Amino acid sequence: MMTHEEFDSIAALDAVGAATAEEARSLDAHAAGCADCRRARDEYAEAASLLARDLTPVAPPNDVRDHVIASLDEDAGGDVIDMESRRMNPWWLATAATLFLALWGWREVGIRVAREHVKNQQAEIKMLNDENATLQQQKEKLSLEMQALGSSGTKTIALSGQQAAPTASARVFLVPDHRRAIVFFSNLPENPKDKSYQLWIITSKPQSAGVFDASHGSATITIENLPVETEIKALAVTLEPRGGVEQPTNTNFFVMGKT
Amino acid sequence: MTVETTTLLSAVAQGDTIAFEQLYDRYSPTLYALLLRILGNPEDAQEVLQESFVKVWTNATSYDTARGSEAAFLISIARSRGIDRLRSRKIRSDRENDAGREISTVSSFVVNKTGADDAIQSQEQKAVRGALAELPEAQRVALQLAYFEGLSQSEIAARLGEPLGTIKTRMQLGMKKLREHLKAFQ
Repeated sequence: MMTHEEFDSIAALDAVGAATAEEARSLDAHAAGCADCRRARDEYAEAASLLARDLTPVAPPNDVRDHVIASLDEDAGGDVIDMESRRMNPWWLATAATLFLALWGWREVGIRVAREHVKNQQAEIKMLNDENATLQQQKEKLSLEMQALGSSGTKTIALSGQQAAPTASARVFLVPDHRRAIVFFSNLPENPKDKSYQLWIITSKPQSAGVFDASHGSATITIENLPVETEIKALAVTLEPRGGVEQPTNTNFFVMGKT
Repeated sequence: MTVETTTLLSAVAQGDTIAFEQLYDRYSPTLYALLLRILGNPEDAQEVLQESFVKVWTNATSYDTARGSEAAFLISIARSRGIDRLRSRKIRSDRENDAGREISTVSSFVVNKTGADDAIQSQEQKAVRGALAELPEAQRVALQLAYFEGLSQSEIAARLGEPLGTIKTRMQLGMKKLREHLKAFQ
C-alpha cells in the first residue's frame, strides 16, 4: 500500500511524463479519491509548464493561423459561432436561424452520440494500451532478472547487517557485462512513513542507486547503469528522508558489504 | 473587443471564435517554441501546433480554472501531441542530425505580440527563469530530457550514464523545487 508521500513523488515524475504506465495508473486511481494528491498532481503539472514557458517565444508563420481557423470550420461541421458576425446580423435572421436550428438539432444529436461512442472507444483503447505497456514492462523486468540470475558472468556479493540492524542482510547479483545488479534484502526493520531506505554505491564517493521501502522485512531493487565493476568499492544502505537525497546524511548503515 | 486572459478559454468553450483567435495570438508563440524544441523542425512543429489548437477548441469545456492556469492547460495539450508525434515518427535521430539547422531556423522568426503581452511575458519569464536557474544543472538536465524528449527514467539514466535511482531522485527533487517556487511566486 503506497503512502501519500509516495504518490506525491510519482506525481512529480508524472508531470514531466517520466512516471511508468503502472505508476501513472496507480496515481490516477488514488487521486480520484484523494483531494490532497489531486492538488499535488495539478500543482506539479503547473510547475512542469515552467519548462516550456522558459523557452523564448517564436511566432509561427501567418498561414498556420489561417489553417487553424479553417480547421475549426471543418472540425465543427460549420458549428462555429462568429460573435462579431452574430452581432451584425439583422433581427429577422434570428427567426430563420431558429427554424434552421430546429432541423439541424436532429443532426446534432446524431453527431453527439457518434462522438460519445468514439470517445468511449478511444478511452478503452488507451486503457488497453496502458495495460499492455505495463505488462510489457513487467515482462522486461522479469526477463532482466532471470538473465541476471542465470548468467555465467554473474557475481554474488553478500551485504551483512550492521549495528542499526544486526539481523538484516542482502544478496547482490552483479552482472558486470550489462552493468546491472539485482539486490534482495531480508530482515530489514520496517522504515518509518516519512523515511525511505536508500542504497548507495560507493566508488570515489557515494552514488544513489535508488530508494525503497521494506515490506515485512524484505525488498528487491534493480540497479541499471552501474559504474564499471572495478570502480565499486562497497554497497551500503542508509535511512533517509522520504524520496531520497543526493548524498547520504548519515553513516548509520543498515547493511553493508565490500566488493 | 478584448477578452481578459482568464476568461478566454471559457469564452472559447462557448464557441466564441474571436476569443479563440485572441487565445491563438497570445499563446501560439509559446506553444510553437515548445514544439520546435520537441520536434526540431518547423514543418512538424507547425502541423502539431495546428492540431493542438483544434484540440483546444474541441476540449475547451474540460478546462477547470481550479486545476491550473490557462497557459498550463494549453502547454499540456501541445506537449502531449508533440511527444506523440516524436514517438510515432521516430524522428529523434533526424533531430540530432538537424540540430544545427534547428538553431538557425528558430532564430529567423520574429515574435509578434502586443505591449500588454510583453509585460505579462516579461514578468512571467523573469519568474520562470528564476525557478529554473535555481535548480542544480543535473536536476534541470534530467527534467528537460523527460519533458522535451519524452525519455523514460531508464532512457535518461542510460543517456547520462547514471544509476536509475539517482535519476529518479534528481527529477523528484527538481520538480519539488519548481513547485515550491511556483507557490512562492503565486
